Amino acid sequence: MRYSFALPVAALLLSGCDSLPRDAAGTTERIERTHAMRIAVLPGTPNARPALALLGTYAREHSARLTLVSIHGEHAHKALEDGEVDALVGHFAKASPWQADIALSKPVARGEPDDKEHPVLRIARRNGENALILATDRLVARAAQ
Amino acid sequence: MSLHSGIPDAIAADVKHGERLEWWTLAWIGSVVVVMALVMGASQAMKSAVIEDVLSLIPAIVFLLSAHWERKCANSRFPFGYRRANSLAFLVAATALLAVGGFLVYESATTLVRQEHPTVGGITLFGHTIWLGWLMIAALVYSVIPPLILGRIKQPVAKRINDKVLHTDALMQKADWQTGLAAIAGIVGIGLGWWWADASAALFIALSIIKDAIGALEQAVAELLDGTPRALDSNKLAHDAEALIAALKARFGDVDVRLRETGRYIAAEVDCLPPTTIPTEAELMGDDRAWRLASLSFRPD
Repeated sequence: MRYSFALPVAALLLSGCDSLPRDAAGTTERIERTHAMRIAVLPGTPNARPALALLGTYAREHSARLTLVSIHGEHAHKALEDGEVDALVGHFAKASPWQADIALSKPVARGEPDDKEHPVLRIARRNGENALILATDRLVARAAQ
Repeated sequence: MSLHSGIPDAIAADVKHGERLEWWTLAWIGSVVVVMALVMGASQAMKSAVIEDVLSLIPAIVFLLSAHWERKCANSRFPFGYRRANSLAFLVAATALLAVGGFLVYESATTLVRQEHPTVGGITLFGHTIWLGWLMIAALVYSVIPPLILGRIKQPVAKRINDKVLHTDALMQKADWQTGLAAIAGIVGIGLGWWWADASAALFIALSIIKDAIGALEQAVAELLDGTPRALDSNKLAHDAEALIAALKARFGDVDVRLRETGRYIAAEVDCLPPTTIPTEAELMGDDRAWRLASLSFRPD
């Protein structure tokens, strides 16, 4: 039992350190293939520019450009969950009720507020798209330094 | 020969050893729980592993409690002493093992049915943002080592002192390191984009945990219902119990012999007149296992 797990795990670790993680639904590969990253901005977001700038950097690194998708606010989270958009920009609280359904970044261009209920600018990504999530997390962290 | 008091000298040192091992278990697994909780993030696999580790402390705790109670002397409120605390602890430990297996089955089955895609993002440490999965794997590797070592050390001790709680705890440690390895495979699977890998590995392990737990539960119930003593690792009759029945029948003829187990001790009842010379425990059980026979009574009719 022990060896049946240990051997494939060791082999995977040795061969795939650099390429991990990958996206469960292949968002990064699709962005690279179509040269387009589909973004939606939640209506009422006061200033989405810092987040869009970060996503623009990500898109350029993957030879793509941002494509803004116009979605009604009520449908935006569902569109992200269903993979109709690649990222959603808006104000979200750390304790957002959507937290389990989408992957929220740390606050963009500011620190984490003390109040978990206080909404701040964040980038929401589709759950399981771990390569995209890690890459955008890195950009958000770099911007905060 | 006494059914009611304390721990015999013949196994006192081993019981102490078992207690030390359980204190080590609490310290090590406690530290594993803290490390895993620090890096678990939003991963369901890691949350399950932490909950499983917390539940896995139950057999160690009940072993320590039952050993403490076993040493207490009989009194007017508990005239038969406290040795059966071990049987009760065994039932609790087996139930905890079943709870771990059931919890893992539920978690993995719902993940697979809902097709939940686990998210493991980045964490910034000392100015570098790395994939949280690597930290999770490091924590899981740490979590696998203590149960692997402790489980192996506990098994021979459990056998020597005939302690089913300690044996169930060793099974729990096996469940711990197996689920740890399954979770590592699951995190690597998540990294490769295989959202189902984690839940599938956990489900596979959970079924083997449930099989062990049901076996332990059957033994625990048999013990509480005064069944003939069962083996440590199965629901078959214990070898020393079968040998004792044979020894009693050889000595007293074809009479009815009933054995039951109170914790780790055997009480025997023989349907015949009391003999003029009562055989000693060593004569009936052999020197090594003489301590097991705590009571021998005769029923003339």
